[in-house]
Amino acid sequence: MLTNERRQVGRAMPRIDAPLKVTGRAAYAAEHSEPDMLHGAAVSATIARGRILEIDSRAAKAAFPGIAAIYTHENRPNAAWLDRSWQDETAPPGHTYRPLQNDRVLFDGQPVAFVVADSFENARDAAAMITVRYEVETPETDLTTKLAERYVPPKKRSGISPPPDPRGQPEEAFKEAHFRISGDYLIENEHHNPMELFATTVLYGADGVLAIHDKTQGSQNVQKFVCNVFSLSQDKVNVINAYVGGAFGSGLRPRHQLFFAVMASLDLKRSVKFEIARSDMFYLSYRPAMYQTVSLGADAQGRLTAVLHDTVQVTSRYEDYQEVVVNWSGLAYRCDNVALTYALTKLDAATPGDMRAPGAASGLFALESAMDELSYEVGIDPLELRRRNFVHFDQNENKQLTSKALRACYREGAARFGWERRQAKPRSMHEGHELIGWGMATGIWEAQLQSAKARVRMSANGQVIVQAAASDIGTGTYTILAQIAAEALDVPAEDVSVQIGQSDLPETSVEGGSWTAASSGSAVDAACLAIRQRLLDMAQKDDASPLKDATVEEVVIRDGHLRLDTDPRAGVAISELMARAGETAIEEEGKAGPDAKQMKSFASYTHSAVFVEVRVDEELGLARVTRVVSAVAAGRILNPKTARSQILGGVVMGLGMALHEESMIDHRSGRIMNHNLAEYHVPAHADIQDIDVHFVQEFDDKASPIGVKGLGEIGVCGVAAAVANAIFHATGKRIRHLPITIDKILGETVGKAA
Amino acid sequence: MTSDTGTIRFILNDRSVALDDVGATTTLLDHLRLARRLTGTKEGCAEGDCGACTVLVGRLAGDELVYEGVNACIRFVGSLHATHVVTVEHLAAKDGALHPVQQAMVDYHGSQCGFCTPGFVMSLYGLWLSKDRPGRADIEKALQGNLCRCTGYEPIVRAAEAVAEARPDAVFDPILAMRARVKTELKAMKTGATIAVGEGRRLVVPGTVEALAEVLDSHPQATIVAGSTDVGLWVTKQMREIAPVVFINGLDALQTIEETPEGVTLGAGVSYSAAYPLLSRLYPAFGRLIDRIGGDQVRNMGTIGGNVANGSPIGDTPPALIALGATLTLRSKKGSRSLPLQNFFIQYGRQDRQPGEFVESLFIPALAPDAHFSVYKISKRRDEDISALCGAFHLRLDADGKVKTLSIAFGGMAGTPKRASQTEAAMIGRLWTEETVALGQAALAKDFQPLTDWRASAAYRNLAAANLLTRFYLETRGEGCELTRFEGAA
Repeated sequence: MLTNERRQVGRAMPRIDAPLKVTGRAAYAAEHSEPDMLHGAAVSATIARGRILEIDSRAAKAAFPGIAAIYTHENRPNAAWLDRSWQDETAPPGHTYRPLQNDRVLFDGQPVAFVVADSFENARDAAAMITVRYEVETPETDLTTKLAERYVPPKKRSGISPPPDPRGQPEEAFKEAHFRISGDYLIENEHHNPMELFATTVLYGADGVLAIHDKTQGSQNVQKFVCNVFSLSQDKVNVINAYVGGAFGSGLRPRHQLFFAVMASLDLKRSVKFEIARSDMFYLSYRPAMYQTVSLGADAQGRLTAVLHDTVQVTSRYEDYQEVVVNWSGLAYRCDNVALTYALTKLDAATPGDMRAPGAASGLFALESAMDELSYEVGIDPLELRRRNFVHFDQNENKQLTSKALRACYREGAARFGWERRQAKPRSMHEGHELIGWGMATGIWEAQLQSAKARVRMSANGQVIVQAAASDIGTGTYTILAQIAAEALDVPAEDVSVQIGQSDLPETSVEGGSWTAASSGSAVDAACLAIRQRLLDMAQKDDASPLKDATVEEVVIRDGHLRLDTDPRAGVAISELMARAGETAIEEEGKAGPDAKQMKSFASYTHSAVFVEVRVDEELGLARVTRVVSAVAAGRILNPKTARSQILGGVVMGLGMALHEESMIDHRSGRIMNHNLAEYHVPAHADIQDIDVHFVQEFDDKASPIGVKGLGEIGVCGVAAAVANAIFHATGKRIRHLPITIDKILGETVGKAA
Repeated sequence: MTSDTGTIRFILNDRSVALDDVGATTTLLDHLRLARRLTGTKEGCAEGDCGACTVLVGRLAGDELVYEGVNACIRFVGSLHATHVVTVEHLAAKDGALHPVQQAMVDYHGSQCGFCTPGFVMSLYGLWLSKDRPGRADIEKALQGNLCRCTGYEPIVRAAEAVAEARPDAVFDPILAMRARVKTELKAMKTGATIAVGEGRRLVVPGTVEALAEVLDSHPQATIVAGSTDVGLWVTKQMREIAPVVFINGLDALQTIEETPEGVTLGAGVSYSAAYPLLSRLYPAFGRLIDRIGGDQVRNMGTIGGNVANGSPIGDTPPALIALGATLTLRSKKGSRSLPLQNFFIQYGRQDRQPGEFVESLFIPALAPDAHFSVYKISKRRDEDISALCGAFHLRLDADGKVKTLSIAFGGMAGTPKRASQTEAAMIGRLWTEETVALGQAALAKDFQPLTDWRASAAYRNLAAANLLTRFYLETRGEGCELTRFEGAA
């Protein structure tokens, strides 16, 4: 654990990359250029299922002499044949989509041709002139008509636990329960819509080495993908993602703009840039639509006696995309009779992808809505129902928990919200024309650790460099790694330079799943420990050293000295140690990763309690969220500023999920109708009012070596349910279909003059 | 008429720009990012929704130099003649010292992934220039047109509040530093000559209204572009060929705002922002409606004349204007004519505008002291959204409490913005009571058979329209039901 009273860790330090961002100098993937480079533009399919009969690019070629190449399935350069070469480290099982592989159209917006020209305008305008003739087949894009064709994915996706086996006698227990509720829940597709468009710039080096600036959450994942697909050796491919304009999971898998830019660059031996349009972002990936059924049984006191949770989730024709949706229902509360089932159904659509808290955000909407419903059935406060069913154990895995300060979240969150003033009866609170509703929900996410390495270099003058292939997708990785090194080496954080976002740096997995701070942070801490050990070794070469008999645990770095922790007067200057050894700097690598032995008996989760106030203008169906309190237990907080922002952003994405976000598909054509930011509504500024983020104290020495659990996902977990529950409390209407739009709220309410 | 020239001139940050080969529909964003390599200005949507491309455009308004935030992605370079374009690269001092709005964004953690940040910075800078001590409402409004997917907005608001509270007296400010020079240069650029660029005059910037009439007479198929908040999307999203393009945003004669006891006359080129102070004073409900049209960037560019001429069934202002009894003046080389606005909208996609004609002005009658006027915009997302429906109500009662005059107009309920004539007829002459309102509600179905689309179902539209009538009735009875924002905790 990190210990230092002169705290760098835990300090609300502003982001060290912020000055570059507020001046517009941080360069994103599309913002690297060289003279005379080529630009790409894709032609997207206008059908959701069928075959390409003909692609006519004659007019485009005649009009634009600056065209360098037009690629279609008929002339695409060779790429890898085996599925496994196309499967990146986050890919689900199946046949990975390969751009321009053949004449099949598998989903709306699939790129069917790629134009490379001397300018962006020429490429774009030429692409617009290319006409494609299709043989159209009837697409199936409506989940609700495909529920019967459900199947359990035969091959599990790496890292995604399938539901545990049933325990107890769930069906019988449900039948015999004192209180019973059961409901079906529907969620529509949601899209990540990071502000930055997906883009790749490939700079073709004189030696044939590619410098690839890509919008990705993992430079090394992309590097391996490029090497595998194009049969290149790693030393020919350097991937850079120094600044990433948001991703939320959409940048985990390599996207087609990468393939196209690299393919064209290799084929033409030129530098190529390809940035996709906002509308094309909607075809890349999405949080999948799913149909869930939750049944809860409880005894007379509201203690759960049966939990049944079933889900049918959308996937593509070609991959079995999986997330953890139902498992949460087996571990959130104490219950001995549990049946959890999870199935997929195939649609004519692109493969879904991980979007902030994949699985949990969706599954908890159903579970936590059902818990709310049960509380009214039992006749107790929804928060009290959750307290009565509290469990400090993972019944799915039969494991202890590393920590669970959820009761503190309930207590402190409720106090900050003023929950005790809530009137239990729905429709009982109002002001002016608006009904007021208060709802709450529990959030859970897994606290994970991934293998990560980091290199730290400390100079005799106290300057420190931290290096890792980690990414910062807006989360604050640059800043917290600087803080961790600064604390361990006792230098001002300003003296630490962090170099990340490059594939030739120490190995790190993709940034996702909330594991980067814990994993890369622990690796940096380990590298700093190794530096301390090196310094101690150097000191102990001197027999007269006061540190002669000390172990590495007994020494600390303070003010440029290596000192005894118990007697800070005994020490030696680091500059002197280095000078004696003839070094100007020392450099060490650190490693972190899951502890297999510990994982046998412990599971680790972050928790939250979310409280929401809505005001509903019932005659017009308008709902607005006026207050949110999110109380979070996530272990150690490295930087309250970046931490708070993670939760704020998560909560707001949850509000979008609850009230706004869905792709609207015309099921006759299988096409997305609202593929723009005007009609796909991410929360705008006016949708956000008072959000209070509170971190409860939680000590955890097992979740990760530095006590961190991660914060990227927990903010969104439970929010949609809390909003739906608040709307029920306000209106008496239980809406189980997200998003909760104006017409769902209005239902049949006809206004009457008072 | 002054002789034609063929060069678009403007100032970009601290440099003068002269373009004689600019495309008719080249956007400012592409010009900045591709031609100038000024990549601080970002593309997030290319349709004026997200604000990542916000830059300031300074223009002469009379003798004043006015800077306004605009969306560079839907602003055409051809419309920039005699303006000063300021991008995020121009904001920090030469020694790298951050401007206070930038520093506050750093200090209050208003930037995460950073991609939307330059746009927010420029919106905050626009606010900095226009208001010394902006309050919360000013800040809210200034940030309305910027989307962020990371921060949850609140840190950005706090940054803005911090700047407002602790505004330093003296600070390096790039625009203040060059104000005099800019004024002189812009005046010199504004010669009143018509500019035509490209073969066959594909891009025309008329120097006078007479020149505009002349150009349209010889090119009746030309696309008239005022604010480009809709036309911009025809180009960036639909790849439509719209040349020849005639830019009218620089015509002072179309920027007039005239108030008389009879009402208000707005030139066709008056932006929402420019019309706002007067309209919100004379017709408060109209002001609140304008607050919900796009964000500042859109309100600074978009014009009420354009909103009308465009003819969209879901344009924000026509229902209010129709209910208020506005008349439209069209002009061509042959002369002018006026007509009630409600007659201008013939059917979906068709308006009563003859070849060679352009909207010159709009007259809005003054409200009678006893008149009730309300307009309600209903959208799925409160801000930055298109109306699912929009209803405007204008009522006068006689001494007996009977309905003397009533005009009701809806957008989003038919193929055009449309008056609810049957509904009105069912209520006029009757006592203004619940029973009368019920008669009106029953008649709504005769006026409107709305569609179901992604914004709302037909059932929703019918219900909400009926409920709006109820709401209007209750308001006239003194029950306040304006949505309030930001009251404290319950």
